[in-house]
Amino acid sequence: MALHVPKAPGFGSMLKEGAKFFSGVEEAVIRNISACKEFAQTVRTVYGPHGMNKMVINHLDKLFVTNDAATIIRELEVEHPAAKIMVLASQMQEQEVGDGTNFVIIFAGALLEAAESLIKTGLNPTDIADGFEKALEKALEILPTLVCHEIKDYRNEEEVTKGLKTSIMSKQFGNEDFLSKLIAKACVSILPEKTTFNVDNVRVCKISGSGLTSSSVVQGMVFKRLVEGSVSKKEKAKIAVYTCPVDTVQTETKGTVLIKTAQELKDFSKGEESLVENEIKALKEAGVDVIVAGGKVGELCLHFINKYEMMAVRLNSKFDVRRIAKTTGATALPRLTVPTPEEMGYCDLVYTDEIGDTMVVVFRNESKESRVSTVILRGATEYLLDDVERAVDDGINTFKCITRDGRFVPGAAATEIELARQIAKHADTCPGLEQYAIKKFAQALEVFPRTLAENTGVKPNEVLSRLYAAHEEGKKSEGFDIEGEGLNFKDAVTAGFLDLFVTKHWALKYATNAACTIIRVDQIIMAKRAGGPQARPAGPQDADED
Amino acid sequence: MQPQIILLKEGTESSQGKSQLISNINACQAIADCVRTTLGPRGSDKLIVNNNGNATISNDGATIMKMLDVVHPAARTLVDIAKSQDAEVGDGTTSVVLLAGELLRQVKPYIEEGVHSQVTIKAYRKATNLCIEKINEIAVTIGKTNEAEYRASLEKCAATAMSSKLIHGQKDFFKKMVVDAVLMLDTLLPLDMIGIKKVPGGGLEDTLLVQGVAFKKTFSYAGFEMQPKSYDNPKIALLNIELELKAERDNAEVRVANVAEYQKIVDAEWGILYDKLDKIHQSGAKIVLSKLPIGDVATQYFSDRDMFCAGRVPEEDLKRTIKACGGSVLTTVGDLKDSTMGTCERFEEKQIGSDRFNFFTGCPHAKTCTVVLRGGAEQFMDETERSLHDAIMIVRRAMKNDAIVAGGGAIEMELSKYLRDVSRTIAGKEQLLIGAYAKALEVIPRQLCDNAGFDSTNILNKLRQKHAQGHKWYGVDIMNEDIADNFHECVWEPSLVKINALTAASEAACLILSVDETVKNPKSGGGDMGGMPAGRGRGRPM
Repeated sequence: MALHVPKAPGFGSMLKEGAKFFSGVEEAVIRNISACKEFAQTVRTVYGPHGMNKMVINHLDKLFVTNDAATIIRELEVEHPAAKIMVLASQMQEQEVGDGTNFVIIFAGALLEAAESLIKTGLNPTDIADGFEKALEKALEILPTLVCHEIKDYRNEEEVTKGLKTSIMSKQFGNEDFLSKLIAKACVSILPEKTTFNVDNVRVCKISGSGLTSSSVVQGMVFKRLVEGSVSKKEKAKIAVYTCPVDTVQTETKGTVLIKTAQELKDFSKGEESLVENEIKALKEAGVDVIVAGGKVGELCLHFINKYEMMAVRLNSKFDVRRIAKTTGATALPRLTVPTPEEMGYCDLVYTDEIGDTMVVVFRNESKESRVSTVILRGATEYLLDDVERAVDDGINTFKCITRDGRFVPGAAATEIELARQIAKHADTCPGLEQYAIKKFAQALEVFPRTLAENTGVKPNEVLSRLYAAHEEGKKSEGFDIEGEGLNFKDAVTAGFLDLFVTKHWALKYATNAACTIIRVDQIIMAKRAGGPQARPAGPQDADED
Repeated sequence: MQPQIILLKEGTESSQGKSQLISNINACQAIADCVRTTLGPRGSDKLIVNNNGNATISNDGATIMKMLDVVHPAARTLVDIAKSQDAEVGDGTTSVVLLAGELLRQVKPYIEEGVHSQVTIKAYRKATNLCIEKINEIAVTIGKTNEAEYRASLEKCAATAMSSKLIHGQKDFFKKMVVDAVLMLDTLLPLDMIGIKKVPGGGLEDTLLVQGVAFKKTFSYAGFEMQPKSYDNPKIALLNIELELKAERDNAEVRVANVAEYQKIVDAEWGILYDKLDKIHQSGAKIVLSKLPIGDVATQYFSDRDMFCAGRVPEEDLKRTIKACGGSVLTTVGDLKDSTMGTCERFEEKQIGSDRFNFFTGCPHAKTCTVVLRGGAEQFMDETERSLHDAIMIVRRAMKNDAIVAGGGAIEMELSKYLRDVSRTIAGKEQLLIGAYAKALEVIPRQLCDNAGFDSTNILNKLRQKHAQGHKWYGVDIMNEDIADNFHECVWEPSLVKINALTAASEAACLILSVDETVKNPKSGGGDMGGMPAGRGRGRPM
């Protein structure tokens, strides 16, 4: 299906039939770039608070409504090899920082677009890549000087809320104040004294119904389950956690009980009953109030649990069992043994509650030792809840970064403009061909104010020129204000638009690396896909994609 | 030939831009149009036949939406909000879908003219918050101090919920029953403690509320006929034991050396069963209920000893029996004693329609009740059950949150007027959009009129005039084709219903407005292989 171009004599025939082979600037580099450009274009409209959502239906027919770039690209199933590099770069960002995935793709796209015009003017791709790398170096040098705010006390809820706001704003515009407060509360309350913050310790529980504003934070855990037995509330409870089913033990090897006499048969079930009763009784005597089981609670056991007025909760997920052990400070026991006082956990209140019409079991711990908190999200539709959950995830990740590095740079595209301005100046001092590339790098940074303006419905060129003018005057944190009518500018720091320093740092790095990798490719060789006969002759199948 | 760039996987569909937004809005409107005729006391019902050929007749928005099996991605959000309303409040599902549809309809011209959808979203969110504030401000709290008054107001809420349903003719009859049923529950008001049993035959008025438990006679063995069918103050044993001859354990094996020993084993098995039965008998229990089967040996044993038994009782019925009569389900007979057994004043087996029912009445705990529903056709009873469910939910909500507002379109008109007044004070595009929201709210009274066959324009004009004069509770009077003060007419709804409906509708509308692109990946797996006919009811019209 590719364009016929003269190939190196015989090279094509050396490969197995069906292999694809592209080479040269025109065929490989430009093609790659235009694929990536198109890809970046797709996610551009979701950037910023005024970005739009996408509806993505994945191959399992699940619907996503989101403006989280990481989710979009994950579900899009990108096929093109060069575009995949960009996806990888943004995934790195997701893992490293957990936010700013969109930034990576848009910036890489903008760099490649810039590179395309340079290649067309006759520059060597290697020179361009070198230039970009030099510009990146310079950018990372400038970035620390732009730091305008630092959160030193990340136990202060108010300060943290301020830092989270910008990140939430781009996901859930209009609800950012409420959500960032919620996340800050959830995160700060469980911050350990010595060890680092673990993202996994803030749980999200989605329950449909009501509105987003009825969401709340619970210290401890919430499970969408019912209790097994008839006891549904325990205060100041001692908790025994088992990873195994609470049931009579079955032999692994197939065993048969051999009964020889009638008396043995009579005693058989009686013996079993008293055995179970003794086990449960021993638990009660040890002071256990609540039993958490990782598997089935047998009917006979449940009977005695009810009899001794203990509460039984069954959790299906191994991870949930581990978390509950952590929350309550219990040691998860692999066998149905009586826990020692040290192995037992403690919880202020364990109870069942009805939220909407969903029954939940709540383990609440008001004390300081609680290490897990749960954000209960309410919302009208499943999709909305999913999207808010992603926003909350981003917020939690941002908090994690704050605990590591509390430095902030101005948001609202102020940082990007300042970088662009300084790098453009720096370019003039560089000898050699890379000067062009460095200039283009600066130009590529302009894509952010441009996109913000486009998504808001304002003329991008006017925004750019006004921003440059302001920055030239020395107002380093002047940014574009999306909330006002038409053209409006605000000082990002006073308005509270703050971006994390690390987010910007890594995003610039990953985006430039991805762009340089793509530019440096000059040959694409695609081997024929393995597998049987294709069901659809029209195109490659997805056998190895899932 | 320009080489084509394959960026996404083959077969991926994507659509974007304004046209796609408009098409989503159109899809949602189609869904809303589908249920709009069911709104209100004069709303019509829908007959839906599913792919198994079962017919359902319903007036309940959530039921209709669930049955429709909507596949359009945007329209599915409407199904979702109907479900969420059902979960949170239990009633008002039609209004929430209708509102969301109308909010989108009103904003469509602005989108077509090029207003950025984020601006509309912001305006809608603002309008919703204003509405909620206003509802909270004007809602009237029911006084809990006066018992009779409190009850009367709950009955009014139930009556309003039922007036839009199939059973509105009998609402006076049912409203008492519903309130009685809910008042019987304990503080958490668990819904599953109200059992609804359907018995075909008889009229709706034959429906009865049992203050206790009633369930259909279970399958019984020979000997059941001889058992007495009524007791006063019996002890009730609730078991989870199979009272039948059977192997004790699967993994036990018997090996015997001689014939005599074999006979002993057989005797022992009988012995075990009789041992259990003896224990039950000695405990003094008169009624034995078990989750598991009770065999014919046991049945005859009990009938010889003047006891009643029922095996294979459904778990939920057994649970409700515990709530009503006390006691607990036992897995072993060893623990049978007075504290683990339940009791009630009267037990009897009665004929209702063509079925026999077991009644437990006069229970000491009585935190549960059973509605035995009578009626003609099966579909009719199903719909009655749904209507009762809605009414029960409304009463529960009214008890949990005791603020109420007037229904019949009154609160919507008041909110509409309030928003219109507020919008005048705002400069810029938001003024128009909040105005659009205000207009969208009018859809509820308008549809009430349309469904009843009134001149909606005329009535709305009258309503607007009344509200402008400050009569905040004026709404549509369905009975007299006029307007009336619905607060005095006792058309009441819990304010929570309205708040939740508004939040859900505007959240859904905002969600749909915020989408600018749909990307659909090809389905993986064997579903869409070449020769398969597209469709099977799963085709996605875009």
